[in-house]
Amino acid sequence: MGIGLDLATFIGQLVSFLILLGLLTYFGYKPVRRMLEERSNRIRESMEQADATRKEYERAETEAERRINRAREEARLIVVEAGKFRDKLMEEARSEARQETHAIIDRTRAELEQERREIADELRREFADAAVLAAGKIIGESLDREKHRKLIEQALDESAFSRELEGH
Amino acid sequence: MSRKKLLVIVGILGLGLAAVSFVGGSVGAIITGREPLSVFRVASPHVELAAGKPFPGFPVTNTMIAAWVTVLVLLVLFFIATRRMKLVPSGLQNLVEFLCETASGFMEDIAGKENERRFFPVVLTIFLFVLLNAWIGLIPGFETIRVNGVPLLRSANTDINVPLMLALVAVTAVEYWGFRARKVSYLKTFLDFGEMGQGFVQLLRGRIETGLGGILRGIIAAFVGVLEILSHLVRVVSFTFRLFGNMMAGVILTGVMIFIVPLVIPSVFYGLEAFLGLVQALIFGGLTLVFGYAAVTAAEQ
Repeated sequence: MGIGLDLATFIGQLVSFLILLGLLTYFGYKPVRRMLEERSNRIRESMEQADATRKEYERAETEAERRINRAREEARLIVVEAGKFRDKLMEEARSEARQETHAIIDRTRAELEQERREIADELRREFADAAVLAAGKIIGESLDREKHRKLIEQALDESAFSRELEGH
Repeated sequence: MSRKKLLVIVGILGLGLAAVSFVGGSVGAIITGREPLSVFRVASPHVELAAGKPFPGFPVTNTMIAAWVTVLVLLVLFFIATRRMKLVPSGLQNLVEFLCETASGFMEDIAGKENERRFFPVVLTIFLFVLLNAWIGLIPGFETIRVNGVPLLRSANTDINVPLMLALVAVTAVEYWGFRARKVSYLKTFLDFGEMGQGFVQLLRGRIETGLGGILRGIIAAFVGVLEILSHLVRVVSFTFRLFGNMMAGVILTGVMIFIVPLVIPSVFYGLEAFLGLVQALIFGGLTLVFGYAAVTAAEQ
């Protein structure tokens, strides 16, 4: 029977193998390889994208930090400025108040002085009147008020009472 | 511990079954002089190298039907796997992608990225065809289901026409790749008369010594070319008989083992056969790849 070499079988097998080869190449391997390639591209792309995103994030982070630092510095400056301003304001207010106080004190003092002087004058006049009246009673005749007032006032000036009224 | 015990028990049971089937089988019957037990009666293996034709009048051999089954299985597999390809693969798409990627990586390692693209379809198809032919032949029913006294199915690898066909396809592809990549310089590996011609030119110019030397070297080069042709032809033969011999031997060995020890032991040989099929497919595809790479790269050492 031999080894079985047979041209018809050979050709038949060749044809079926070539059909398999052709169909697999165009409808099997090609889509699979395309898919594999697409997937690896996709993965590479997304990895690159992730890398870019990470870099962007890092950049944004340093930028934010820089900004925060700048803002902090600015805030510090503002606080310092505000402190200075406050000091100035307080100083101003203080000196103003001091001036005001002084003014009030001065005015009050002047008023008091005026008052005292008026009171002293009043007292003196009344005292003189009383003295003239008393003297008239004693002498029995009416003294000339105007005439004697000067005299009394002179005497008063010399007395301790007057000195007490004058000196404070 | 219990796992180990279980293994031991299964092993002993298996060996017992093997021993019983051996004693009760055909060989045991000859030794003991009894009739073999009917369950263990196996037809004595008889070697038939040529493929049978189960349908008288039709030129279709059983190996051809088996090859069609292989082709159909491969086509259906790839059809289902690539019908709705998804970027995130699942099911059969995974299997097919794994196959293609592994094969592609293997070829790229050996032949480089450029050549891999060209070699891929032929090499992978040869591999898959040989592998599936071998593995399908292990399915129960092959060789045993008979129509008109002839097995209906028989592994296509065991039909000399198939290994020969594959060998011719492989070698043709190799020569084609070589010629496409290197054009005339590829033909020079077979027919190298350049030096001889130079020698004659020198001789005509009167430089007898250099001329004769050139002719001598030319003769050697031409002889090397003849050797090259022979080696390429021998590739066809070695391809053919390596696959055919291994597969045929596998079938015969399994048949003999089933005849001697009908139970347990043949399972071991089935596993061996499955491995052998993988190895033969790898060798066939791998050699095609290596020859192809050798053909496309300049042969100068």
